Amino acid sequence: MGRLLLIARLALGDIRRRRLQSALLVVMIVTTTSTLTLGLALHRVSQSPFEHTRAVTRGPDVVAQVGSGPDSTRPSVAQLAPLRHAPGVAATAGPYPVARARLTAPGASVAIEAVGRDAAPATIDRPLVVAGEWVHAGGVVLEKGLADSFGLHVGETVRLAGRRFEVAGVAVTAAYPFYPACLPALVWTTRADAASLAGRQPLGYVLDIDLTQRSATDAFLASPAAGAFQDATSNEPSALQAWQWIRTDDYRLIALNQKAMLVGSWLLSLLAIASIAVVVGGRMAEQTRRVGLLKAVGGTPTLVAVVLLAENLLLAVAAAIVGLIAGDLLAPLLANPGAGLLGSAQSPRPSLSGTALVVGVAVAVALAATLVPAIRGARTSTIRALNDAAHPPRRRPLLIALSARLPLPLLLGLRLVARRTRRTILTCASLTIAVAMVVAVLAVQHRIQLTDREQWALFAGAAVGARATHVMLLLSSVLVALAAISATFTAWATVIDARGSTALMRALGATPRQISAGFTAAQLLPGALAALAGIPAGLLLYELAGGHLGNATPPVLWLVAVIPGTLIAVAVVTAIPARIGARRSVAEVLRAE
Amino acid sequence: MTARLNQRVLSARDLCKEYGTGAGLVRAVDGVSLEIEPGESVAIVGPSGCGKSTLLYLLGGLERPTAGGVRLADQQLERTTEAKLALLRRHALGFVFQAFHLVDELTALENVELPALLAGALPRRARERARELLEEVGMTDRAEHLPSALSGGQRQRVAIARALANEPLLVLADEPTGNLDSGSTTDVLRLFDQLHANGQTLLIVTHDERVAATADRLISMRDGAFVSETRLTGGTARTLSALTGLDG
Repeated sequence: MGRLLLIARLALGDIRRRRLQSALLVVMIVTTTSTLTLGLALHRVSQSPFEHTRAVTRGPDVVAQVGSGPDSTRPSVAQLAPLRHAPGVAATAGPYPVARARLTAPGASVAIEAVGRDAAPATIDRPLVVAGEWVHAGGVVLEKGLADSFGLHVGETVRLAGRRFEVAGVAVTAAYPFYPACLPALVWTTRADAASLAGRQPLGYVLDIDLTQRSATDAFLASPAAGAFQDATSNEPSALQAWQWIRTDDYRLIALNQKAMLVGSWLLSLLAIASIAVVVGGRMAEQTRRVGLLKAVGGTPTLVAVVLLAENLLLAVAAAIVGLIAGDLLAPLLANPGAGLLGSAQSPRPSLSGTALVVGVAVAVALAATLVPAIRGARTSTIRALNDAAHPPRRRPLLIALSARLPLPLLLGLRLVARRTRRTILTCASLTIAVAMVVAVLAVQHRIQLTDREQWALFAGAAVGARATHVMLLLSSVLVALAAISATFTAWATVIDARGSTALMRALGATPRQISAGFTAAQLLPGALAALAGIPAGLLLYELAGGHLGNATPPVLWLVAVIPGTLIAVAVVTAIPARIGARRSVAEVLRAE
Repeated sequence: MTARLNQRVLSARDLCKEYGTGAGLVRAVDGVSLEIEPGESVAIVGPSGCGKSTLLYLLGGLERPTAGGVRLADQQLERTTEAKLALLRRHALGFVFQAFHLVDELTALENVELPALLAGALPRRARERARELLEEVGMTDRAEHLPSALSGGQRQRVAIARALANEPLLVLADEPTGNLDSGSTTDVLRLFDQLHANGQTLLIVTHDERVAATADRLISMRDGAFVSETRLTGGTARTLSALTGLDG
């Protein structure tokens, strides 16, 4: 008990002493865990709202429609009749008349299909009215996705085929994908209104079918009756729609977000490991003397390692809890399952296993980053540690020889890089991840710009693209922020580690500006490598996330601009540590060394 | 060269350096004045903590004085920017430290060529000069060794070679034998003797009487102030061989 108390006291004491570093470590882990929580929450979202909506609205297993295409031959109810008695059919509802028209309202003009329905609820597909009331003469009910997309509300007036209709209500259904996944958009009117909207155009018809076995849609679609129906309506798109296809259309939007978030959260985890290793390494560089003191007063190597591990584990667990809460609060903003489905008001919470995964990742990240420095710290000889002798720098003869031929800032920068190659690699890795994400965002943005809006609209892609850009921008902002923190820390760790040699350089005649430029150059070198590696990595990431570069590679100018952009960003974030490092009192450092 | 011979290399007037405030105020250097002529060797002696090293850092422009001024190579250091001070150190001063302060990951040769590279010399010229200096200090055979593979005396000889890389007006040495055994001390003393004989101006801060006895002028320091000054030439200065017990 006393031992545990001692470890806790020592760990807490050090956290208090290094508040800023501890806070930054927490920020990094919080960012990672909250993104992971979001990704997991989205995963759950994609599994539940359609099922919920389908159950509440008694969604059909198959929807059959005639007259749905512009090239339809004159459709008739009789074409649907054989399906009502086909094997495997348990019940049907309809047929309902369907008129194609254009809905116009201030700021809205969209092709719609008006389904004529009775006032009484049907046995299959009972759209759930979420605002206003069900259809009446002169009153139209809008599918919720449509109403939300154009900001249309109950009581407002819209025009269908030029005729004025009052918005009587807003409803959700599982018989059609929600707008914009469903085009033309869906509205419900009375049968008489639907017939009058068709005018001279022939009316189409829709039949809702329930099967004896919900999962037997494939067998039904392969049956002779369905085959004959499909042959007769071969020039119409989606004459027969199984519920699984409707669900797939609904989730196209959510699935892209989910994929982006999951990929992003794993990238963040990688970046966090690299960044945390840098931060912890920096902490260790400053803790050498403390390790010596602990050992000098009788602390065993195990105790020293446990104290260092406990410190970072405490921070990791605290950060994981904050990350879970932040992810939980943010999830509804990004995880809206779509205006056309029920369940959007529910907060998509990760499961128990998801929570355990998030905490596990945080702890694993902290452990992975702490283990090596903690063991090294514990093994450091007491006398050496008391003398504050840091891990000796590496000698890279080739780099040293090459640097002698370079201008002074590059000479200093390259030699600083050569001293700590592992730190340089970690910095390079974290910056590469951030650059890759920025490049992937550029690719998405370019794809959206390239594609004709109408074409997007046909495939319901505009909203998908916009949402994807939103998610990618959010993720890349977080990644860039983390990379910036990491770069600042690396610069700071370099400044601390090289304080002796830079003080000596100044004694030998290097100016503060040259030293500062040297520190910046030491960060720019991995920054340049990261920019070069990040561009192909970002394009690869875009491909892996489902994009196709073949016809949408971002302009070369955009990609080339990433290189100076990265270098400027790195120079800016390392400017302050570099300046502080270059202006330390030479005499003070030399006396202390 | 004429200018170097005719002008004072360094002069300091009423130099003060204070640390802390109020009750915690410490006056490390208290009203010190000093002049050094070209080719002169000056030793400042005194117990630990008397302010010798602080004075050396003030004279070398590594620290700013609280009051008073230092004139080096026709420039008032206290009115000079950090950047100009750095340039002045680069060309006018060479430092030798008690702790050697060699760059761990650089070989002896690379350490010695460093000041020349910092001064913008061509890499080949810097390398040639470093080889010459290492030969002068008897370290040619150790040129490619890292500091960790050298003895204390060898490290200090490399540090002295480095201090001479840019042909400075003045070499400032802070306890140059403080970390050395007796044999290595003799080696380093021999080097300083040789430098002095070649006309190099030297200011050595030490508590080692043997080092002090080789100087032209000996200044004693206590509690941040000079307490006595002795000119050792004309019979009082002792030869190195006498100091090391090697003369008849």
